[in-house]
Amino acid sequence: MALPRSAPDWLSRTRVLVVVGKGGVGTSTVAASLALLAANAGADVLLVAVDGKPGLGPLLGGASLGPTEQTLRTMTPRGGRAGRIRGRTISPEQAFGDYLELKGFGSLLRRAARAASFDLIAGSTPGMKHLLVLGKIKELDRERAADLIIVDVPPAGHAAPFLRSASALQAAAASGPVRDQADEVSALLADHTRCQCVMVTLPEETPVNEVIELAADLEDDLGMALAPLVVNACWPDRPGLSMTAATAARRQQITLPAATRRALDEVVRFSLVRVDGQREQFARLDDALPLPRLLLPRLPVARLLPQHLDVLAAALAAEPVVGRVSR
Amino acid sequence: MTSLESVLRDASLLVTCGPGGVGKTTTAAALALAAAETGRRVIVVTVDPARRLADTLGIVDSAGADDPCEVIGATGNPDGSLWAQMLDAESTFDRMITDRAPDQQRAQSILSNPIYRSIAGSLAGAQEYMAIERLHQLSTGGDYDLIVIDTPPSRHAIDLLGAPDRLVTFFSHPVYRVLTVPGRSLARVTNAGSAAFLWAIRRLAGPKVVEDAIEFFRALSGMEAGLRQRASETAAILRDERTAFVLVSSPRAEAIDEAAHLAGALRDGGYPLQAMVINLVNPTPLPLGVELPDLAAGPLADQVELHRELSALAADEAKEMLALRALAHELPLIEVPLLDDVQDLVGLAGLSQYLLER
Repeated sequence: MALPRSAPDWLSRTRVLVVVGKGGVGTSTVAASLALLAANAGADVLLVAVDGKPGLGPLLGGASLGPTEQTLRTMTPRGGRAGRIRGRTISPEQAFGDYLELKGFGSLLRRAARAASFDLIAGSTPGMKHLLVLGKIKELDRERAADLIIVDVPPAGHAAPFLRSASALQAAAASGPVRDQADEVSALLADHTRCQCVMVTLPEETPVNEVIELAADLEDDLGMALAPLVVNACWPDRPGLSMTAATAARRQQITLPAATRRALDEVVRFSLVRVDGQREQFARLDDALPLPRLLLPRLPVARLLPQHLDVLAAALAAEPVVGRVSR
Repeated sequence: MTSLESVLRDASLLVTCGPGGVGKTTTAAALALAAAETGRRVIVVTVDPARRLADTLGIVDSAGADDPCEVIGATGNPDGSLWAQMLDAESTFDRMITDRAPDQQRAQSILSNPIYRSIAGSLAGAQEYMAIERLHQLSTGGDYDLIVIDTPPSRHAIDLLGAPDRLVTFFSHPVYRVLTVPGRSLARVTNAGSAAFLWAIRRLAGPKVVEDAIEFFRALSGMEAGLRQRASETAAILRDERTAFVLVSSPRAEAIDEAAHLAGALRDGGYPLQAMVINLVNPTPLPLGVELPDLAAGPLADQVELHRELSALAADEAKEMLALRALAHELPLIEVPLLDDVQDLVGLAGLSQYLLER
C-alpha cells in the first residue's frame, strides 16, 4: 500500500528507504526521524537497524531493538488510520537461517551449514554476510511487511561495500541460489519505484566530499534512485548575527554592560565562522550534487532524546530546497 | 612533562582508535607531527584521510600512496622527520602475497584468483587485517622510531585488533586443512564437517565458487606457517609495553557510549590504553552577567538566543563527558576544543599544542 497523501511526495513514492552516511553524521537519527514522519502520516513503518544499534528503539519510545520485531510506537489516528513504527535488527546469521528455511532447503543442508560454522561459510564467500541481510530486506519487501521499510545501513566506509555486495557476488558466482539472491537484490536496489536512498551529510568539508563520492557510487554503479539529500546539524542563519552586540542592543533600545556585549560578540563570531563555512559547502553541493536538500537544524544538545526527534521529523516534512543545478 | 609528551617520547607504536567522525585521523597526524618535533623519525599510517589532510601529508591518490612519503618541512628539528602512508587494503594484501609466495608463478595464480580478488578488495574486514599486516611490515623494518596507526571507526577497530588471532583460528580450522591438502579429490573428503561445508557452499554459491576457493586455499598453503607466525608476532606487538593506545571521542552521547564500550574492550583484550582525547568540544560562552527576560524579536534577541543555545550545549557536553572521565580513572583525559581548520601543517601544529596540554 502506498503511503497516505499527507507524507511528503518523495517519501510516498517508495517502499524501501535506505539511509546511508559516514560515521558521526547522524544517519541513525535521520532514519528514526523519517520513521516518525511517515508514521505520523498514518503509515505502517518497519525500521531495520543493520548494524544493530539498540539505542534507536528507546529514541522512538520503545524498548531496545533486537532480532525480533517489536512495535515501538503506535500513533494517535488523525482522521485516517493510525500509523505505527515497528523496529528490529537483522544479523547475517539470522538472515541465513531464515533464507535456508524460506528456500525450502531441507534439514540436511541446514545441519551441514551449522556443522561447517556460519562464519567460515560467510567468510569464504566474500560479501555473503551483506548479501544475506539485503536479501532478508528484499524478502520483507516482497511480503509487504510494512508500507515503508526504512533501513539504517552500517556507517563509515562500509555503506558502499554493503550495498555493492550483490553486484560483487554476481561477478563471483555464475549460478546457484546465491547468484539468484544477488540478482534479486540488485534488481530491488535499482528499481526506483520500490527503493530509494537517503544520503545524510553535515555542512562541513569532509562529509560533503564523501557524500559527493557516495552519490556517484550509488547512482552510477548501482543505479539507485537518490531521494533528497539530508544535511544534518545546520547552523541557524539568524539575521541578528550580522552586527555587533552594541548595534543589536541599540536597535532594540537596550543598554548592555561591556561584559555582556563581549560575551555576545564572542558567540556571534564563533557562529559566523561556521555559518560562512556552511554556506561554502552548500555552494559546493550546488555544483557537484544537484539533489534537492532537506536541512535539519543543529540541536543544542549532546544527547538526543525522544522529543528531539519530533523537531527533526517536522524539518524533514518540509519541501526540499532545490540547489543550483549546473552539472 | 605532560602525559602525552612522555608517550610520544617512549612509545614505538601508537594506535588511535574511536568512533567515526570525531577527528581520529587528524589527531593521529597531529601526534605524529609532535613526536617528529622532538627529533624522532615518525610515520603516520592512515586509513581514510580527508582530502585536504591527505594533501597536507603529501599522500596522493591510492596508486602512488602505497610507499611512505616524507612530509617536507613538517618539522624544524633536524633529527626528526615525518612520513605518511595511506593504507590501501588491496595493495598491502598483494604485497604480502608477493613477499610470501615461494615463487612468482604461485604469486600470480593467487593474485588472479577471483576469490582472492574479492577478498582483497571488497571483503569487509580486509582493510582491518591489512592495517595489521602493514603494521608488522613497518615495525620489523626498523626505519622508524615511532609508528602511528590510525584505525577504522570503533566497532571495526575491535575487528582490527582481533585480526591476527582470527587468522590463526582460520588456519587451524579442519576445513582449511582439507582444502589445502594437495591432490586430494573432493569426493574423498571424509571429515564430516568439511564435506558438509563444501557441499553447503556448492549448493548455495555454485560449483565455480567452490573451485575458486579450493584453488585459492591451495595456493596459500605453502605460506600458512609464515602467515601464522606473522599473525602471532603482530598480536604480541599490539600488547607490547612500548605500544600505546589513544582513544579519541567527541563529547556527543553516541560517540561517548561507543568510546566507553571500546575502552572496556581494549582493557579486556590486554591492549595498553594510555590516554583518552575528547575532541571537538564546544566552547563554554562567557556569562552574560545580566538577565534579559521578555526580549522582543530583533537582532539582540537573536544573539541572546544563540548565547543561550551554546551555553546549554556546552553544559550538556560537560555532563556527557563525565561518563568518560569516570572510566578514565587514573588515565590522562585531554579535552580539545572545536578548532576551525586543522587540515594543514599549521593547523596540525596547533592541535598538537592542545593534545600536549601546552
